[in-house]
Amino acid sequence: MQVKTFSTNSVKGFQQSWDQNTENGLHPNAAIIFSSVELDLAEIISFLGPKGVRVFGSSSCGEFLYDDEGKTISEGGLVCSMLELKPGTFDLKLFNGKGLTSFELGKSAGAWAAKTYKEPAILVVASGLTIDGEQLVRGIQDTAGREITMYGGLAGDDAHFKETFVFTEAFSESNGAVLLVLDKSAYDVQGIATSGWVSIGADKIITSAEGNVVYTIDNQPALDVYKNYLNVNDEDLPEIGVEYPLLIRKNDPDFILRAVLNVDREKKALIFAGTVPNGAVVTFSSSPGFEIVEYTRKKVDEFYEYNSGTDLLILFSCMARHNALGPTISEEMEEAWMKWKKPLMGFFTYGEIGNNYRSSCDFYNQTFTLVSLKER
Amino acid sequence: MLVDFQLLIEDLQRLRSPEEFTQYWDKVQEELSLVGSEYSKLKFKYERSNKEKNILSSLLTRTSADLKKVSDNLKVRAEELSTILSTIPAYVYFKDVKLNYILVNQSFAELVGVPAEKIQGKSLKDILPNYKSNGYIETEQKVIDSGTAVYDIEEELEFMGRFLWVNTNLAPIRSTAGQIIGLIGISWDITERKHYESELKYAKELAEAGTMAKNEFIASISHEFRTPMNGILGLAEILRNTSLDGNQSDLLKGIVSSAENLLVLVNDLLDFSAIEAGKMELDFHPFMLERVLEDVFQMLNLKAREKSLDFSVNISDDVPTHLVGDSQRLRQIIINLVNNAVKFTDHGGIAIQIGLLNRTIDHALLRFEVKDTGIGIPPEALNSLFRVFSRIRQKQHKLISGTGLGLSICKKLTDLLGGEIGVESVHGKGSTFWFNLPFELSSPRIQDPNKTEEFFDGLYTGKKVLVAEDNLINQKIVSFQLKRMGFDVKLVDNGQSALEEFTAGTFDLIILDIQMPVMDGYQVAKSIRNLEKSISSHVPIIALTANAMKGDRESYLDAGMDGYVSKPFNTETLQKAIKLASEVAFLYYKA
Repeated sequence: MQVKTFSTNSVKGFQQSWDQNTENGLHPNAAIIFSSVELDLAEIISFLGPKGVRVFGSSSCGEFLYDDEGKTISEGGLVCSMLELKPGTFDLKLFNGKGLTSFELGKSAGAWAAKTYKEPAILVVASGLTIDGEQLVRGIQDTAGREITMYGGLAGDDAHFKETFVFTEAFSESNGAVLLVLDKSAYDVQGIATSGWVSIGADKIITSAEGNVVYTIDNQPALDVYKNYLNVNDEDLPEIGVEYPLLIRKNDPDFILRAVLNVDREKKALIFAGTVPNGAVVTFSSSPGFEIVEYTRKKVDEFYEYNSGTDLLILFSCMARHNALGPTISEEMEEAWMKWKKPLMGFFTYGEIGNNYRSSCDFYNQTFTLVSLKER
Repeated sequence: MLVDFQLLIEDLQRLRSPEEFTQYWDKVQEELSLVGSEYSKLKFKYERSNKEKNILSSLLTRTSADLKKVSDNLKVRAEELSTILSTIPAYVYFKDVKLNYILVNQSFAELVGVPAEKIQGKSLKDILPNYKSNGYIETEQKVIDSGTAVYDIEEELEFMGRFLWVNTNLAPIRSTAGQIIGLIGISWDITERKHYESELKYAKELAEAGTMAKNEFIASISHEFRTPMNGILGLAEILRNTSLDGNQSDLLKGIVSSAENLLVLVNDLLDFSAIEAGKMELDFHPFMLERVLEDVFQMLNLKAREKSLDFSVNISDDVPTHLVGDSQRLRQIIINLVNNAVKFTDHGGIAIQIGLLNRTIDHALLRFEVKDTGIGIPPEALNSLFRVFSRIRQKQHKLISGTGLGLSICKKLTDLLGGEIGVESVHGKGSTFWFNLPFELSSPRIQDPNKTEEFFDGLYTGKKVLVAEDNLINQKIVSFQLKRMGFDVKLVDNGQSALEEFTAGTFDLIILDIQMPVMDGYQVAKSIRNLEKSISSHVPIIALTANAMKGDRESYLDAGMDGYVSKPFNTETLQKAIKLASEVAFLYYKA
């Protein structure tokens, strides 16, 4: 598997880097692109369309690339992996979500993946403000099997929370998902998802919710609860809510984090990145401080212990981590780069999808979700 | 000063060429960039901390408020609990794992006469030095060790001269982590209940004693009745075998009929008291239904004819004939119902109809109907008909005989046999008494034990029998019957003489009355069996008894007898008993 990565901050720069690399003898048949909504995605698509390259693309909330040529963490830019993959070992498809629930969308995507390969591994990006990540995962598992290998993230829009995109070499979609499915007999696909967020404060009960929309917490309007407890203004939400997600207790000590992605001010409701069930016991949560970086490093080291070889690392890192850790977030990426010394690309997401070691796939918020691709 | 400029100047002065300067300058730039990066991280951390400080302090304040609310709720709960503890009419205490009191309620403190605050931290022995544990402390320890609750510990305690009974439940207390940290004990004062219990027990004993006395009374009455009855019927039998003229013969029939009626009454009374006392034994065996009905027909046809009534028995074709059940009790029910029908019918007739209600591979449910064209039963009497002592009074039937127990016995017997009984009647036109009974089906190969043994005069010719009986009349009857069978009879009138005769001679059979002067039948039988041990023989012994209650049979067998005959009896019954006892004795001897 031939990989060539580059980063840029303009469409023109993208075209130049692409051409330069192909002139140097690279013949990519696939590309992974994470780009800011500031760049003209239509122009990128029309540039790549005639080249016979399959594109797995998502808009971002900041993007990054660590490779031999340097370390980039940017906002408003683009990172790209040009890939030469063995024909017949991968396929790619965009699923339009219009008129479908996230679960239904997931079901048809999962059915396609299961039909494509006997043992598929899935990379998925889905539009961040329109898709309920948890329902998408459940839908895919419903048809592709609960034990499916799957990693990915929800697209961002540089924290504008207005419109996010996923795209291929032919289309871009603000309500849909793109699946890159790999034949596991040709690729080793492994990863981790780690958060480090901790519970703060007393237990609360979700007293009214529907899907990923929460209306009341302890019988108070959800928006008011967030504003009161965090002592923030109306306009600070949803952004601040991303950093202080709800921690939903499952079977102690298991929990799952759900970040606020949008606000329905009229109904004083909060829209989360994934389902928050009625009656769930929740608390607020926060990053415990900068020592969270140490926690991530430890997890990366453990991952390296059982997966030391890779061709490409893709990181789906929650935008909330970026907000909470600021420039120190580079230390998490640095750790992965230093361990494998192979290209690490990724973007700051509105939600992450992944398997942990020997466990089935889940949808997360606030995590550092790292996936390693290696040709067998 | 942050940068040592003196050192910088010294470094610069050492540079010799523009290339060296460029190299030096690149190094400085690199270090400055690192410093810049560290600076931006530190700046972010500082700003971030400031921003977070506000949010976290807000979260903290709100959480404190939440916790206060929770704590206020807990306080309210604690007060509620305290109120419950002080008002609950029970003695409540909490102990730690060392079994020292942590908390007790007011009732407990008042009971032991020690203020609650002085009980805290003390053990049971500390507060009640004279208390004898009787395993109570060990039980508490068991609750702590095993983590299992123990309920209903009852004990009598004495506090300051006052005796009381308490019932205690003990349960372990666990921490949220599940560790046992103590126990809770709740005791209730059950002194009053205990008082009632003992009164109840006394009343029950009295009632039981009363029932026993009643049973004994009935048993002895039955004995008193049966002995003279045996005399009357036995002598009548002897008399019938003498030459009598027509008039005498009729009179004798009258005597026999009256005596038999009296016997029915006595038997009814006995049956009823046996059922009441739960002592009615059922005897399930294979039998032929036709045979039972033939008996009934022969027994009652005469009575019917005396009143010029038609009497018929009709068994449907589909009714199985080989059954397993208590044929004796079935016969009794039918006889009772037909007897009643005869009593209450002056014109027309009586018909027994038997049909099949249901049949499986091994069971059949039969319906028996006894129809008459008699006076019928007024509707208001139908419901109470099967109750004890229920009797129908009619102008023209004022003198109807009976105990009033007949239908009640029928009802109880059908219940016992797993069936049901009822009646349909049109007042003035007649009645149909019916009952349904379940039977097992038997193979036709099984011999019907009800088949009457054919009686042979002189069957036992040459055999020697020893009879011990103190009543002269009965001596005559038994002697007559045994001689008819061909026995050589040796009569004695008490147990002691019987034993002496036994040691002196050789007998093929021994018949012992139970109640005799000097030595009773049991003692004689036991002594004979003891004597026989040394000579390895076993002469059949039959008890002659007026006692016909359940439990008697066991007594005879325990004493070593092989069978018994209940008075009054006729020659056939006695012969059947002799045959059975000989078989038993033979088996016994073989064993």
